[in-house]
Amino acid sequence: MSQIVLNNLSKRFAGVEVLHEVSLSIEKGEFTVFVGPSGCGKSTLLRCIAGLEEITSGTLDIGGTRMNDVDPAARGLAMVFQSYALYPHMTVAQNMSFGLRMAHRPKAEIDAKVAKAARILQLQPLLDRKPAALSGGQRQRVAIGRAIVRDPDVFLFDEPLSNLDAELRVQTRVEIAKLHQTLGNTIIYVTHDQTEAMTLADKIVVLRAGRIEQVGTPMHLYDDPDNAFVAGFIGSPRMNFLAANVTATGLQLGQVTAPLPALATTLAVGQQMQLGIRPEHLDQTDGVRLPVTVEVVEHLGATAFVHCRLDSGETLVAEQRETAARPGARLDLHFDIARARLFGTDGARVR
Amino acid sequence: MHWVVAVPMALLALSCVYPVFFTVNNALKDNKGYILNRFGIVQDPSVQNFVDAWGRAHLGEYLFNSVTVTLGAVVLLLLTSSLAGFALAMLRFPFRRVLFIVILASLMIPVQVVLVPFYRTMMGLGLINTRFGLILAYTAFFLPFCVYLMTAFYSRLPREMVEAARMDGATLLQIWWNIMLPMGRPALLTLGILNTLYCWNDVLISLLVLQKERTVMVGIAALRGEYTTNVPLLCAGIALAAAPIILLYIFFQRQIVDGIAVGAVKG
Repeated sequence: MSQIVLNNLSKRFAGVEVLHEVSLSIEKGEFTVFVGPSGCGKSTLLRCIAGLEEITSGTLDIGGTRMNDVDPAARGLAMVFQSYALYPHMTVAQNMSFGLRMAHRPKAEIDAKVAKAARILQLQPLLDRKPAALSGGQRQRVAIGRAIVRDPDVFLFDEPLSNLDAELRVQTRVEIAKLHQTLGNTIIYVTHDQTEAMTLADKIVVLRAGRIEQVGTPMHLYDDPDNAFVAGFIGSPRMNFLAANVTATGLQLGQVTAPLPALATTLAVGQQMQLGIRPEHLDQTDGVRLPVTVEVVEHLGATAFVHCRLDSGETLVAEQRETAARPGARLDLHFDIARARLFGTDGARVR
Repeated sequence: MHWVVAVPMALLALSCVYPVFFTVNNALKDNKGYILNRFGIVQDPSVQNFVDAWGRAHLGEYLFNSVTVTLGAVVLLLLTSSLAGFALAMLRFPFRRVLFIVILASLMIPVQVVLVPFYRTMMGLGLINTRFGLILAYTAFFLPFCVYLMTAFYSRLPREMVEAARMDGATLLQIWWNIMLPMGRPALLTLGILNTLYCWNDVLISLLVLQKERTVMVGIAALRGEYTTNVPLLCAGIALAAAPIILLYIFFQRQIVDGIAVGAVKG
């Protein structure tokens, strides 16, 4: 049985609907990531699950019990906030033990749990410090520690890495992944960063404007997106979209004609489409040829992002391992039509 | 260039220090010594005026009244304004904005305007001539400003802190006691100091509520006669009444300065 089940959950703020009948189930032990651009409702959805926002309509079940009106603390959840929300006047140990003290647990139990969490997160030398005397990464670990000591069934993370610098973000991301392997709890994690979503998630939920666009494993969303939005959101740099026109012989892309990919749908001649090609699939020596002019080359060491312009004026990015491309030069890019994805002008995937 | 600042500042400091000097200097003279030499330095200092003020003029008893009432009112003010500020700044409930505006509006009503209904209410409740009545009266009159300041102060704290405490299973009262009250320290300190001064220096409300007993400021006011005033005795009374506040200032000097700065930025 699924651990968390959302059924037609809606949320309205002063008449404005920010979540539209969201239905979703999350399995026990699963690492689920809510991802989407800002304002898509991912944080609101998390807060509805946490009990910090009231659910306007629909139901929320956790562990088979309806939780719509249950107090946040009684839902068996612990949450790590974006700002960490540590209590500044308490030491690290007091911060971590606050929940247990509020529950009037025996002192020995509190001490043992704090010590265990401190060991897992390597916080032992910091237990007597106040949050002001900690670095960003350390505060982050204390916030996670505060969640761990409560032994929750489900961890909720609200953009936990967004206040860290790039290097620390990668490091903490790995730590969170390890933590999930060690503890095995269910985790719901909100982020706007598709890299975090791809690297951490067992299951990604892509949201846009209060609706779920697609749910699936990271590779499923990457390989088989339901629509152009998901295809564009998952993957970095984002997928290139080229205007395509269906002809009797194939797909017309500007001056280039490409063969039609294998589809279950029959396309009408003259139909307007969008062809999605991932930058990393433009690193081939054969297949469909796209003559382009190079505009900018970004060298990342192992690979380079080549920003190009087609003769039709459309821009695209190619990720190439070895490139001799120079700005202003002409270049032939090649791609395999089987790896390209076809979308209608409304963004819906054509399979 | 620094003379432009230094001279006016020295004059300003002198204007603050001189009255204190004048009071203490004359408190040490007897009446005759004062009449013969008002502004000169005391020749034959004596503490007799202090003894008289404390005993014969009952300032000892009055001081006790003042301390009780001030302490009671300030504690009550800090607790209630912190509670109200927490609710208004952090919680969502119907008519929150309206309530806040009503509280703000009550800031604009001068005490004098409501004296008659205030007195009748106190009579009706049987609170005239009780220290508890005066504590309640001070709390009522000074509360709007305190609530306003605490609400403004708490509004700047991240709401996530309260949410984290809710997730941790704390009740609203526990959140207030464990999180909001300690976090409100700088603002509470400012209010504590301000209200101590207001309550201690008040004559009007005290005169109305405590008619048989007196607080020290009313006691001092009563030392002034209609035709003659024993100025050295009055000075001794004033010195006695000011002493606790001056001691308070010396002890909390740093916090007072910090507190005023907090009020300036966050008020």
